[in-house]
Amino acid sequence: MRRMLSRTDLDALVRDLLGAGTRVIAPVRRKVQGREFVEYAPVQNPEEIALDGSQPVRPLKQVVFPPTETLFNYKQDKGLVQIQEAPTTFSDTLVIGARPCDAAALEIVDRVMDWDYHDEFWFGHRQATTVVAVACTDSDESCFCTAVGLSPESTRGADWLLIPAGSSFEVRVVTPKGEALLESNKSRCPESDVPEAGKASSAVEEKVRANLAMNPAKLQEWLGAHFEHPLWQKIALRCHGCGACAFVCPTCHCFDIVDELEGVGRGARRRNWDACQPALFTLHGSGHNPRKDQSARFRQRVMHKFSIYPSRFGEILCTGCGRCIRVCAAGMDLIAILAEIGQNAEEAGSTL
Amino acid sequence: MEELRELAKKLLQEKQVNAVVGYECDRRGVRPAFVDDPAGCDRLVFDHRCVQNLPAYLSPRRTNVAGLGRLAVVVKQCDARAVAGLIRESQLKRENLVLIGVRCGGVAANPNESRELGAETLALRCYGCSGTETAMADYVVGEPKTVPAAGGDRDARLAEIEKMSPEERLALWKEWLSRCTRCHACRQVCPMCFCERCVAEKTQPNWIESSPHIQGNFSWNVTRALHLAGRCVDCGECERACPAQIPLGLLNRKLAKIMSARYGFAVTDDPSTPAPIGSYRLDDGQEFIL
Ligand code: SF4
Ligand code: SF4
Ligand code: SF4
Ligand code: SF4
Repeated sequence: MRRMLSRTDLDALVRDLLGAGTRVIAPVRRKVQGREFVEYAPVQNPEEIALDGSQPVRPLKQVVFPPTETLFNYKQDKGLVQIQEAPTTFSDTLVIGARPCDAAALEIVDRVMDWDYHDEFWFGHRQATTVVAVACTDSDESCFCTAVGLSPESTRGADWLLIPAGSSFEVRVVTPKGEALLESNKSRCPESDVPEAGKASSAVEEKVRANLAMNPAKLQEWLGAHFEHPLWQKIALRCHGCGACAFVCPTCHCFDIVDELEGVGRGARRRNWDACQPALFTLHGSGHNPRKDQSARFRQRVMHKFSIYPSRFGEILCTGCGRCIRVCAAGMDLIAILAEIGQNAEEAGSTL
Repeated sequence: MEELRELAKKLLQEKQVNAVVGYECDRRGVRPAFVDDPAGCDRLVFDHRCVQNLPAYLSPRRTNVAGLGRLAVVVKQCDARAVAGLIRESQLKRENLVLIGVRCGGVAANPNESRELGAETLALRCYGCSGTETAMADYVVGEPKTVPAAGGDRDARLAEIEKMSPEERLALWKEWLSRCTRCHACRQVCPMCFCERCVAEKTQPNWIESSPHIQGNFSWNVTRALHLAGRCVDCGECERACPAQIPLGLLNRKLAKIMSARYGFAVTDDPSTPAPIGSYRLDDGQEFIL
C-alpha cells in the first residue's frame, strides 16, 4: 500500500503550516529583467510553489547555512567587552520541493559540521527544518547525481520524498521527523493500491546516467597519487577563480569570519560564505600564498570533493547537481573533468 | 574557420607566439581555449556562441595564463575595447601581444545558445554594432558579416527604471541586491577589474563590509559600478557570471550614459583616447564641488 497526496491536499497542508507560523520554503518562479528562473524562497501562498519547474538556480543550503549569519554582538563599555550571543535555535521551517541532490547535500555536510567541533548554528537550523523532497521529472546535460551514488528519486537527507504521479504524489516517509509530519496529515495521505509511481523518474535516471559514468574509488585513488600532474595546469587556465561554482554548490560549506562595527564601540561578529577559488582564501599575512595560482586552487576544489572528504568521512562532497557547470562563465565542466580524470585512472590501472 | 586555424598554426609554428587564446566547442556550447601546439589549432572555432571576452585573460592577475608566454588572442571588435583599456591603464604593452581580429556577425547572450542568431537571441551589446574587425588587429580573419537587427530598444529596461521615483528605484535595487551573496564573480570575470587587491578586500579600514547583508551589498555593487565608470567595456560578462541573476549591466550602462553626457566619452578600442578618470580637462563640469 502506498500513501498518496494530491496537490490540493499538499496546498492545504502548506496553508495549515503557514497559519501555524511555520516558515515554508519552496521553489518559486522568478522573472528579473526578462530572465526567468526558479529559486528556493519563502512562500506566503501555496499557489506560488513550482514543483514542476527547472532546478532552482541556487542550492537549498542557504536555508540551513545563510550567506551571512551573526554569531554574536559586542559592546565595549569602559574597557569591558560585553558579548551577546546569537540564538542557535530557530523557528520551524518546512521545505517543500527540495531536489534530491539538495536534500542529500545536507546529510553529507553534517559530517564536517560535527567533526572538529559541533556547529551549533548549522545543527540549530537542521533541527528546525523538515525537508520534503520531490523526485525529479526532468534533468539536463549537467546533472550527474547517478555518478555519485544518488538518483533522481534518492531519499537521502529528506524527511519525505514525494514522487509525482499524475496530479498527485506518492509519499515516501523517510525519517522520524517525516513520521511526525505524516501523523498530523494522515487524512490527507490516504492509502491506495495504485501501481507503483516510482517508474515515472526512471527515464530521467537513464538520461542522467548517460551524462557520466565514474568509479569513485578509482578516481579517489588516482587523485591521491596525482597532486602534481600537468592536467591541473591545463584545465585551470580558463578558470577565472570567481568562486561562483562554490557559491551555488549545495555541498560547499567554507566560511569567513569577520567583525563589523555598527557604531562606536559596538558591532557584530558574522560568518559569511567563502570559497577556495579566489586567491585571497589562502593568502597569508606575510604575502605568501601556498596555492600559488589558479591551477592549485582548482585542484583543491576537485581534491576536496573527490579525495579529501571521501577519505576523511567516506562521502563524496558532491551530489552531482550540476550547478557549478551551469553557472560557470568560463565553461569549466566538472563532468568532462571527472571523465578525463576517470580515463587517466583507468589507464593508470591497466599499466600497474 | 580554416583561415583562423591556419593563422593560429602559423603563429605557433613560426614561434611568433607561445599560445593562442581562442574559442573551442565543448559538451554544451563554446568555451575559451588555450592552444599551445600547432596540432591543437583545429579545435579553434568562431561563431555566434563565442560570447566570452577573452582579453579578460590578459589581466596581470592571471598568473597562470601569463606563464604561457607570448600570446595571440582572438578578439571581436567589442573585446578589443578591453585590450585598449588595459593598454590605456598601463596593464599591458601592445607590442607583447598579437591580436587576431575576427569579423563578427553578432553573438548570442550565452555560449550554449542552440538557436540561430536573431533578434531574440542577440546579445544586448551587439545592438547597433557593425561587427567589423577592430583597427587594432594584427591579422583579420573571416568574411564580412551582417549583425542581425536588434530586437528592440537596448535601453528600454533602463528607461523603465529612470521613470521611477527615487523611492521606487531604491526598493527595486534593494530587492535585487539583497540576492547578492558576495562571491565577487562579477569582479573576477571583468577584464577591467585587474587590481591585485580590491578595495572590497581591505579590512583596515573596512571600507566595504564583506557580509552579504543589504548594507554590504549596496556598498559593494555601487562601488564596483563607480570604479568602472568610463572604464567598463560593455561586454556584459559580470551580469552573465552573476549566480544571483542580478541585472548588473544596468548599473554599468547607466554610468556609461552619464560619462557620455558629462564628459563626451564613449568606450572605444582606440587606446590613445584618454579615459575621463585618467585625464584632466579645464572644461570638466565641477558644479558639484561646494
Ligand atoms: S570553475 Fe568557473 S565558476 Fe568556478 S571559479 Fe572557475 S570560472 Fe568561476
Ligand atoms: S561540485 Fe558541482 S555538481 Fe557537485 S554538488 Fe557542487 S555544484 Fe553540484
Ligand atoms: S558587439 Fe559587435 S563585435 Fe561584439 S559580439 Fe556584438 S556584433 Fe560582434
Ligand atoms: S556576481 Fe552577483 S552575487 Fe556575486 S558579488 Fe557580484 S553581484 Fe554579488
